[in-house]
Amino acid sequence: MQSNRLGWILLAPSLLILFLFGVVPFLYVAWLSFHQWNPFAANPDIIYNGAENFRRLVFDAAFLASLGVTIAFVFFAVVSELILGYVLAQAFMKDFPGKAIFRTIHTLPLIMAPIIVGSIWKLMTTPSIGIIPNLLDTWFGLDLNIGQSAAAAFAVTVIMDVWHWTPLVTLTLIAALVSLPPDPFEQAQIDGANKRQIFWHITLPMIAPAVVATVFIRLMDALRTVDEVLMLTGGGPGSATRYLGVHIFKEVFPRTNYGYGSAISVIVLYLTIVACWLLYVSMLAPRNQK
Amino acid sequence: MADQKDLETPIDILEPDEDTGPAPGAAGFLPIETNWFDRIFISVVIWVALSLFWLRFIEPAGLSLNFAHVIAVILGIFIVWKG
Repeated sequence: MQSNRLGWILLAPSLLILFLFGVVPFLYVAWLSFHQWNPFAANPDIIYNGAENFRRLVFDAAFLASLGVTIAFVFFAVVSELILGYVLAQAFMKDFPGKAIFRTIHTLPLIMAPIIVGSIWKLMTTPSIGIIPNLLDTWFGLDLNIGQSAAAAFAVTVIMDVWHWTPLVTLTLIAALVSLPPDPFEQAQIDGANKRQIFWHITLPMIAPAVVATVFIRLMDALRTVDEVLMLTGGGPGSATRYLGVHIFKEVFPRTNYGYGSAISVIVLYLTIVACWLLYVSMLAPRNQK
Repeated sequence: MADQKDLETPIDILEPDEDTGPAPGAAGFLPIETNWFDRIFISVVIWVALSLFWLRFIEPAGLSLNFAHVIAVILGIFIVWKG
């Protein structure tokens, strides 16, 4: 009982901060999502409008288009990061010359602020001065212009996200791989299992919790991507890269439509929670024994 | 016998912690093991999904959103009770 009380006392500051900066803003946004509030409109008051924001949201073509491109972005980015992160983690498990330097360089994007990443990629992909369009033109005769081509802009945002966040996946998977006991692998090799069988039947099930945790983090981050994309493409061309975070930003700040922006935020949070929960259920949740 | 008395009682490492959260109930119709909190969570998720679906496809035909709420509450009670 004594240790329980001490535990709660030690947890109290964290819980208080979590409540003040996590729970209270969420409750405020949830409350605001049922109101109309544009502080710079003719009527700046907060007016209760029931489910009107959500009614508008399900018919809003811009929001639905934004949801579609966001799902595509999240899928391509997270899957690419997971595959590439696993390959790099396996590579770092082996010894090779310059491993320490390569690992440090490989981790550098992780410590950069997203707005800086967006700026760097904007410089690198600007047609007249950027190195990437220049090299693509010189080597392959390709014309990369993310200001004109929707597909190119989408692809570059995915590549930028992969470049920025793959090191996180690599680091978490290295931690998972290092902690694996060698016995099951030795036994599998003695039993004649090939590399593919060892991966599917031993490695993957044993690192599944780490994979799920990593995907959770990346899924949540990718669904709320704003600053990198806003800096790189501004959501364009057209609405090709207007992901949900960018859409909310444009709805809330330039248009000061706080009520409707809050409703979209609540739905994004809902989608994030549901996606993470489905992932958890499909990979880790214990099944009912009938 | 004297040697046996000197042995320490082994620590039962499989003994569960005291605070492990809500205990899972009997197996319900849901395909996964759930406790009451999981079932409330599933009910809320279904409530929101049903409300959005209703707003988009059913309400334009004239049926009020309140019907969706009533259906979601009944479904929620059923899931919490039998899930």
